[in-house]
Amino acid sequence: MRSIVILGGGFSGINVANKIAKKSKRKDIRIILVEPMEHNVYEPHYLFWSFNKDPLKKFTIPIDKVLNKRVLHLRTAASYIDTKNKLLDLTNGETLSYDYLVISTGVHLEEEQVGAYEKDNVHHFYSTKATQELQEALKNFNGGTIVISPSTVPYKCPPAPVEFAFLVDRYLRKRKIRDKSTIKFLYPLLRPYPVPSVAEKVQKLYDKRGIEFVEFFNYEEVDKENNKIISMEGEEIEYDLLVLIPPHEGQAVIKESGLGDREGFVPTDRFTLKVNGHENIYSIGDCTNLPVSKSGAVSHFSAPTLAKNILLELEGKEPSKKYNGFTICFVVTSPRRSMLLYFSYNFPPKKFGLHNLFIYGLFKKAFKIAYFKALLRGYL
Amino acid sequence: MTEYNVAIEVDARGSFCPGPMMELIKAIRQAEVGELLSLLSSDEGTRNDVPAWLKKAKHELVEIINLEDHDKYIVKKSH
Ligand SMILES: Cc1cc2nc3c(=O)[nH]c(=O)nc-3n(C[C@H](O)[C@H](O)[C@H](O)COP(=O)(O)OP(=O)(O)OC[C@H]3O[C@@H](n4cnc5c(N)ncnc54)[C@H](O)[C@@H]3O)c2cc1C
Repeated sequence: MRSIVILGGGFSGINVANKIAKKSKRKDIRIILVEPMEHNVYEPHYLFWSFNKDPLKKFTIPIDKVLNKRVLHLRTAASYIDTKNKLLDLTNGETLSYDYLVISTGVHLEEEQVGAYEKDNVHHFYSTKATQELQEALKNFNGGTIVISPSTVPYKCPPAPVEFAFLVDRYLRKRKIRDKSTIKFLYPLLRPYPVPSVAEKVQKLYDKRGIEFVEFFNYEEVDKENNKIISMEGEEIEYDLLVLIPPHEGQAVIKESGLGDREGFVPTDRFTLKVNGHENIYSIGDCTNLPVSKSGAVSHFSAPTLAKNILLELEGKEPSKKYNGFTICFVVTSPRRSMLLYFSYNFPPKKFGLHNLFIYGLFKKAFKIAYFKALLRGYL
Repeated sequence: MTEYNVAIEVDARGSFCPGPMMELIKAIRQAEVGELLSLLSSDEGTRNDVPAWLKKAKHELVEIINLEDHDKYIVKKSH
């Protein structure tokens, strides 16, 4: 009996576990998912959830409900990966051996590095608790300066702060306090988005909606006593409400096991998804160091490669399947509009549709249904 | 070709979003002052972006090496 252990059951881990379980008819394998949480969260909804209070169950699902019956879910975490002996130390005190390991532990939000989220005017929308606090802060906001900024890079879903700026603009207009408010968007580049054609569109919309873009702002720290955010270059910007994407790093288990780069991201082969220097370990999703976006879309499009390579290895064959970097990205520009980009390692982003900006209904919201019904279950 | 003692190598070939510039910023944040970094990029836009950003950020662009299908940027974290 050979064990395939998947460490971390977020979107990436669940998807890979389901794909391997569905694709392999072998009776001589066990597929084990190590994940402490009971529920999976559809994270893109946090963006919209900042402005309304849908019940949590509208965008979460019990993991066991979407997991293939062949996958054993161990509700515990790992504290150490012993690559030499192919063993995981689990936080429940047990050890677990593996023949193949898939690392899909996502990122750790380093809120304590910022040391200001305990204030009632410093928030983010990257976790359930933080978004709930932001909901309250937005509700109580009655005019002033809202500053939106990433802290470090990379962070999950590159367009998320841009999208937040568009949605907060709409929200303030709806509440008729837009004229009493200033929205400032800070970004480390000289344009408001990495992809030039999208940046151009974003800048046009910012100009139209009166959102101020502050270029070349490399976050350094928050002066929470004086309500200022300070850049590495010493620029200071005052806020009444700060929405700061927290620093992202790899999980402690990766750092402790010596498997990460300086920030704990797992060095991974961009084509095979094998962890560099480890023949029987693969890695997928936000935890990797791949030069692609930290997004569910990347996980979705790379999962078939990873699953296939493990299946090939089980048959004693070369893991020859390659991920070509293909992915898609929606950029929400208002509650009802979005842009769709698609690109790969081999071609730069192209926009979908006849027009650059096309009305796609509430596509990003509707995507949630596909996420729970098909993507998580490994169907597509 | 000069041999550099590079502390962090970033292969951002084929990276469009978040893109080579963001990968470089990530590496500069990870690096210690005085360390050399190398960035590989196949994106034409990087040829303008990297020098402009480094000039503003006051880090040193040591050399741009033009290779067959990509460029290699050698950067020193200056402060
Ligand atoms: C506000 C927001 C908007 C977004 N919008 C989009 C979008 O529009 N499109 C898109 O494609 N993506 C979007 N994303 C990104 C997307 O949600 C993530 O990229 C995706 O969830 C990553 O999945 P993952 O499984 O790699 O990581 P995660 O979902 O973080 O899962 C990692 C799992 O590993 C577990 N784990 C961690 N440490 C251990 C351990 N030691 N032992 C065992 N288990 C462990 C955790 O409990 C967790 O469940 C967005 C994200 C946010 C926050």
